[in-house]
Amino acid sequence: MSAKEYFAEHRRFWIGICSVFVLVCAWELTLTYIFPVNPFFFTKPSLIGTAFLEQIQSAKLWHDLAVSSQAFIWGFSFAVVIGIPLGLVMGWRRRVEYSLDPFLTALYASPLVALAPLFIIIFGVGVTGKAALVFLLAVFPFVFNTFAGVKSTDSLLINVIRSFGGDEKDLYLKVILPSTIPYIIAGARLAIGRGLVGIIVGEFYAASEGIGFAISQAGDTYRLPEMFVGIIILSLIAVVLTELMRKLESTVAPWRASDEVR
Amino acid sequence: MASFIQAQNLSLAFRPKNREAVTALTDLNLAVTKGEFVSIVGPSGCGKSTFLNIVLGLIKHDSGTLQFNGTPITGPSQERAMVFQEFGLLPWRTVEGNVELGLELKGTPAAERTRRAAELIKLVGLNGFESHYPHELSGGMKQRVGLARALATEPQVLLMDEPFAALDAQTRDLMQTELLQIWERTKKTVLFVTHSIEEAAYLSDRVIVMTARPGRTKDVLQIDLPRPRDYEMRLTPEFNEIKLRIWEVLKEELNSRAQT
Repeated sequence: MSAKEYFAEHRRFWIGICSVFVLVCAWELTLTYIFPVNPFFFTKPSLIGTAFLEQIQSAKLWHDLAVSSQAFIWGFSFAVVIGIPLGLVMGWRRRVEYSLDPFLTALYASPLVALAPLFIIIFGVGVTGKAALVFLLAVFPFVFNTFAGVKSTDSLLINVIRSFGGDEKDLYLKVILPSTIPYIIAGARLAIGRGLVGIIVGEFYAASEGIGFAISQAGDTYRLPEMFVGIIILSLIAVVLTELMRKLESTVAPWRASDEVR
Repeated sequence: MASFIQAQNLSLAFRPKNREAVTALTDLNLAVTKGEFVSIVGPSGCGKSTFLNIVLGLIKHDSGTLQFNGTPITGPSQERAMVFQEFGLLPWRTVEGNVELGLELKGTPAAERTRRAAELIKLVGLNGFESHYPHELSGGMKQRVGLARALATEPQVLLMDEPFAALDAQTRDLMQTELLQIWERTKKTVLFVTHSIEEAAYLSDRVIVMTARPGRTKDVLQIDLPRPRDYEMRLTPEFNEIKLRIWEVLKEELNSRAQT
């Protein structure tokens, strides 16, 4: 393969890389030569880079990440375990849908982080309070996407299963669940972003450790490079998790991934 | 010979919420003997497909009797299998997985399912495509899977709801001929709904013409063409004669519908 063909094939990736590179250079040069702002108020890539290298060698960063991850994993797992079955039942049973719909719609639309103080009061400052907040934010995408997936199940396939004498259990396992999986994964992608917000808000509000606390503390004490390190690490985590979900989708639902138009 | 499938004065009305009831079928009478290939033609919306779904057991009729092999039809049974117009294949299953579906629902052991599926996949000419997914298949191949799936459970009756309507003309001709070959080998009773007079005449022992809605049996035509039939037979004057006879009956219904 010639170099030209290689770039044509991976255009998306290389143009993306170039774009990031150009932005970082522009930022660095602007703050160095055009507007040399006091580093107290704003920072630049070279300082962030230095802080990054320092931070990843310190035990504190890894400890903070471990603390935050623990709360995230708990909250997210509960969102999966509760959100998916709830969405399935809501989609298939009209009465359940009609009874739960008002609450869920209202809660989904509201800025749920406003409940952070309440959650901290009920569950405390530790992992439990943050996990509860993550759960609250992450559960809705699972419920609503699973619900939408069930609703969009092809009625022809339902009839196929029925015509072969399948019962309710067969409908769930052989049609409804498989056809809903791509929706659930799309929901998971949304839930990751919302769950990370839950962690950060929880730790901004009341915490003594964790990545959100580290960001907030660095900001409060005007250590901007360190603050940006926290933010960049969070974005990296979000991107990696979201991409993992995309990969997962093309693995478990190849018939759908191939339909996707780029 | 006693009737294998017998419908007497079968009626059904749909009652959509907040709207007037629509009579789909009224006093439909029909008798099919075992091993017979019967086609149903009629104007769009005359209830042909509805009737097929009643025989399948997915829809309940309002009044009249419908018997299969001497007992009333009350719900789905693996003695009757449907081939759907839009195929109805599970996109997350391979060809093999789709063919095994009915057997799985029946509780057939895995080894037996695999053996049976392989047999059917060969019968419909899909060997080599066992692990392909439906989105990798052409329309004709998808319907072969649909046919194999329906035959896998060894039903006594094959119900076919415009199975070739979604295919292009050439694939359609090919599938018709192959269906006849499979039918001659398996000797299933077939109830075949179609819009195409040509298709009905080519495949059937008898063609039932239904009236415009509400659907009733208007006329039953015996197709006395020799078997096995092949594509060349379609070019004979006898074949065109039969098509004309069906057309004459159907035309009145299409006209009456056009006037309303």
